[in-house]
Amino acid sequence: MILQHGVKLEQQKTASLRHKIKILPVPEGMAEPKPLAARQGKLDAAGIIAAAEAAQIVDEFDGVALARKLKRLRRLKPDMIVACCFDEDPCTTSAMATLRENTDAVIAGLVLAARACGAAENKIAVATPREARMIKKINPQADLILAGERYPARVLLKRKLFASGKNAAYIGAQACVALTAAVDENEAQSFTVVTVAGDGVEHWRNMRVRIGTPLKFLLDACEASEKTTLVITGSSVTGKAVTNLSEPVTASTRCVIALKKIPRNKTYPCIGCEKCARACPRGIVPWRVLREIQSGAPDPVRMPNVQKCIGCSACSVACPSGIDLTAVISKAAAFKKSGDFD
Amino acid sequence: MTLNEARAPFVKSEASVSSMMRDVLFALAMLLVLPVVHYGIRPLVMAGVTMLACALYEILFSLIQTKSISLSDCSSMVTGMIIIMLMPLNAPLWLPCAAAAFAILVAKMPFGSIGHTPFNPAAAGVAFATLCWPKQMFSYFNPAAAGTIPAYGDFTAALAPSPAAVLKSGLKPDILPLDMLWGVFAGPLGTTGILIICACGLFLFAKRTARWDITVSFLIVAALIAAFFPRIACSSLTSVKYELMSGSLLFCSVFMVTDPVTAPHRALGRILYGAFAGFLIMMFRRFGAFEQGACFAVIIANAAAPQIDALLVGSQRLGDEPYDE
Repeated sequence: MILQHGVKLEQQKTASLRHKIKILPVPEGMAEPKPLAARQGKLDAAGIIAAAEAAQIVDEFDGVALARKLKRLRRLKPDMIVACCFDEDPCTTSAMATLRENTDAVIAGLVLAARACGAAENKIAVATPREARMIKKINPQADLILAGERYPARVLLKRKLFASGKNAAYIGAQACVALTAAVDENEAQSFTVVTVAGDGVEHWRNMRVRIGTPLKFLLDACEASEKTTLVITGSSVTGKAVTNLSEPVTASTRCVIALKKIPRNKTYPCIGCEKCARACPRGIVPWRVLREIQSGAPDPVRMPNVQKCIGCSACSVACPSGIDLTAVISKAAAFKKSGDFD
Repeated sequence: MTLNEARAPFVKSEASVSSMMRDVLFALAMLLVLPVVHYGIRPLVMAGVTMLACALYEILFSLIQTKSISLSDCSSMVTGMIIIMLMPLNAPLWLPCAAAAFAILVAKMPFGSIGHTPFNPAAAGVAFATLCWPKQMFSYFNPAAAGTIPAYGDFTAALAPSPAAVLKSGLKPDILPLDMLWGVFAGPLGTTGILIICACGLFLFAKRTARWDITVSFLIVAALIAAFFPRIACSSLTSVKYELMSGSLLFCSVFMVTDPVTAPHRALGRILYGAFAGFLIMMFRRFGAFEQGACFAVIIANAAAPQIDALLVGSQRLGDEPYDE
């Protein structure tokens, strides 16, 4: 296909996928999670949602509580539910590692989630055919689809499935595992798998961390260098820099990146190469919006779709001039929403 | 460890303006290989002097404007390189420097440097030199009769008409199209290595630094005009071969019309733009006063580009609407 949306990023996954998930010991002084009361009643949709609520499961992909998400999905009635076992970020591997080591738990959790929201089909999305073959070897029954390696993989997959007439819902791999544990063993979600990467750490690893562990503890376990000047949580595209290492790991932390040097890129004026329009999964034409915003009298009619921006930053990553297009789009969306067009 | 604040994104795709410009610069440098092998060190000296002149003019203008000097995007080097590619090897050294002065000081910097130029600076520089010094621009030395070529300084050599000039006078060039592929004939420095230009084009399209749609529509229109309205009495296929390989047509199709800054931004617009430039270049050859008017064709097409964009905005939807959440 000539016109592929999204950005191709250099993948740096082999280093952290080489090892199994390492369990980080719980730091001293952290309280043990309270065991949940035994689940009662039938395992129907309401029962599963109640179990997810009791276990306080948070979907690691969007940080939404799983119970809330399942309730909403039950109203929306999707045709298909997809477990996101790919990592959009080029150096995160936590979802893939979770799937590789807990394939059956992911499948069981996905089936439970499908039952909870009434979806007829359930599928596991992985990034590449190579990963799909590997998972097939572990469990031949896994029903896989490919999400590809281009950057906002989740949105691109959504777009692809929508084009083929499927109304799909998405759930994270770790949330699936936690849902299985909550239903089968009455366990609250107390651990999360975090990828530690970047040139500031000695070992690139996937770590199974107790939620609430300070970041310092996690970085020390991976032998972070003293020269580290930047620590990013979330993803290398949309994540945020952390200055206080006593911040805790949350359920939606999928990745911690330690860098020795702050990436700096020079900004040039727009050259009109249209790489941003090709990168955008939501049909925005960022360079035109930029031109419109920079002009003296911006015309809201000439910036279509800006309100649909999901803030994936694919345009900023793709831009060869290094312009912060995400900020431009959000500015345009605010301008359009304000209705103050004089 | 002390931690700093920084703003996302922390990764970049590999393409940046400077890497794109370096790709173009690399492709242009490849064009110098054949002349250096044939004629010694003079092509290198001329290219170096022109690029240096471009960089100096840019620094000078930045100082006058009291702006920060930014040479890291390499765009002035690319301008200099394209200018020297369109000059004959026996041109005096001041000629490319004068063209570079016009390109940088008049066509590029006053408009706001890279990203804002309405016209391709290199095309403007070459057009300026063509109008002011047509004699020096179109006198090519005969590569077959060339003796030792000085590294710098003027040299007088036996002149030979280029195939473009022969076509202009209505005669058939005495070089076979197959021999023209290897680039040993009279013509502008960088535009004779036909095979290398093709390879450079493929390299730039594969790297997505240049857009192939402009080049393709440009070449198709030029070839169609050459086939149906040949300037010389020969079969249409021969006419197409001579027209495409003589002069700077092929070089322009790869390096000049594909400049993203001055081209239209919509796909259909780019095809129209390429076709328009191809039509213009053939008209300049047929009716123009000079043996080649590629730079003029590029400038006029550049002027038409915003109009083409504006024409198409109404008919084409900006962006699609994939779905609603």
